[in-house]
Amino acid sequence: MTAPDPVVAQEAIEHCYEQGWTDGLPVVPASRPLVDQFLARTARAPDEVIGRVEQLDRECTVEQAAISAAMAGCRPEYFPVVLAAWDALMLDRAARGGGWQSTSGPSPMLVVNGPVRQELGFNSTGGVFGPGFRPNATVPRAIGLMVRNAFGIHPHVLEQATQGLPGRWQICFGENEEESPWEPLSVSAGLADGGSAVTAMLLRTVEYVDNRHTQDHEQVLWDLADTMSRTGALIFREASYGLVLGPEHAQLLAKNGMSKQDVQAWMIEHVGRAGRDLRRAGKSAGEKQVRGASGSTDGDDEFQRFLPSPRHVPVVVAGSRNAAMSMVVRVFGEWSGKAVAVEGTA
Amino acid sequence: MVEAILDPTGGRRAVAQGAAVLTPNRLKLAGATIGLLENTKKNAAPFLAELGRLLVERHGAAGVVARTKTAFAMPIPEEQLAELARTCDAVITGVGDCGSCSASAVADGIAFERHGIPAAVICSDAFIVTADAMAGMRDATGYHYVVTPHPVAVLGPDEVRKRAEEALDDVVAILTSVAS
Repeated sequence: MTAPDPVVAQEAIEHCYEQGWTDGLPVVPASRPLVDQFLARTARAPDEVIGRVEQLDRECTVEQAAISAAMAGCRPEYFPVVLAAWDALMLDRAARGGGWQSTSGPSPMLVVNGPVRQELGFNSTGGVFGPGFRPNATVPRAIGLMVRNAFGIHPHVLEQATQGLPGRWQICFGENEEESPWEPLSVSAGLADGGSAVTAMLLRTVEYVDNRHTQDHEQVLWDLADTMSRTGALIFREASYGLVLGPEHAQLLAKNGMSKQDVQAWMIEHVGRAGRDLRRAGKSAGEKQVRGASGSTDGDDEFQRFLPSPRHVPVVVAGSRNAAMSMVVRVFGEWSGKAVAVEGTA
Repeated sequence: MVEAILDPTGGRRAVAQGAAVLTPNRLKLAGATIGLLENTKKNAAPFLAELGRLLVERHGAAGVVARTKTAFAMPIPEEQLAELARTCDAVITGVGDCGSCSASAVADGIAFERHGIPAAVICSDAFIVTADAMAGMRDATGYHYVVTPHPVAVLGPDEVRKRAEEALDDVVAILTSVAS
């Protein structure tokens, strides 16, 4: 066998740039034999339509998903995870509607549960929001290429993100089930325990909470709630802020008798602001659920809660047990509350 | 054997280059009923209401039919389009003031024109690129709409009325003239 020809590879990569197919990084040029390896991993027909944006009259097929996954750098065996992630996203109202065109510039957060994490090598521990792991990096990138190429939504044209968020098309990790004291997210979402599944929600951003110098779990809860209660992220009357808890925080809370549902209930009760804080920030008045400015001091003393239900406070455990840190994730719209099983897995 | 590089777009990457399609039935404002289709964006309803008021007061329109498009990112539902087409002589819609609703408002304007109803779309100037891209996708490159300066959402009631008055001449031109 002769060595691969880098000049040919470079020409093929440049061809993809010239066609406008890339997200800015080089893509793997997709060939028929490579894409067929992806398609062999699913029982679904290549021409099955798996997503449609009605307002743009565009759709995405299994075949287009396979081409995008190949271009993103996925291995063929990742393809069932890509399809499950896509199906999970399509349960989200904003992802089926105008979300990809939004000035908010949201990004999917994909959470993988079950044995497929180890089988494919998904990182669920140290650096889950960072780079270094092929499935974590390439599965969300495939989703981004599907939105770009199948739906035709390009930045500065039909995609109108004002700033977008760091990590767009890069947020995908396994839940650290091994060090979580609670049931997996997919089980909270109604699937059977032990199965492989993907959960998807759209994010506006993420913000860390570093609290490693206390053994008092209530101090940790207050610290998380303070970060969740910022006015800047608030645009509607109600909000959805999830928690990606590091194992240390999750274990501290569990050790003090808290279930995942207890943590959600605590946040529903305590996340919010006094009316005067909201007025000062120009976010006290609600018109059709959208917050705006008001000169009225009525309600200054009232505490306004932001989170209407447990589904608006998804809780997942990920990261390394080497420091007590967690991440608040700002959900765009609201999570569907559902997970999708990975095809071909138990 | 040399393999082809596969196209991820389904062959749909090029934006169509059709010409703007306006209904030839341009409007006589005197005695006309004007549909006002607001898209729930902040200040859209008062903006359109003021335009309606000015068309009645200064141009002899008979009255208005005010409606709301609840899903601002999506195309207008067929039933709502049919109802407005049945009850109105022309439609004003907007305000295109976000990533998805500006494109969608242009799509609705084109849909009304193709149903024989003159339509004026109000769009903020921050979203011209995406509005024009949608016109291209609807095979109506060059579709003309009314541009108002961004932002609209922060304006007070008097400022909204002033903006509507500033937009009035363009609205009238689009609704009444084939050349627009």
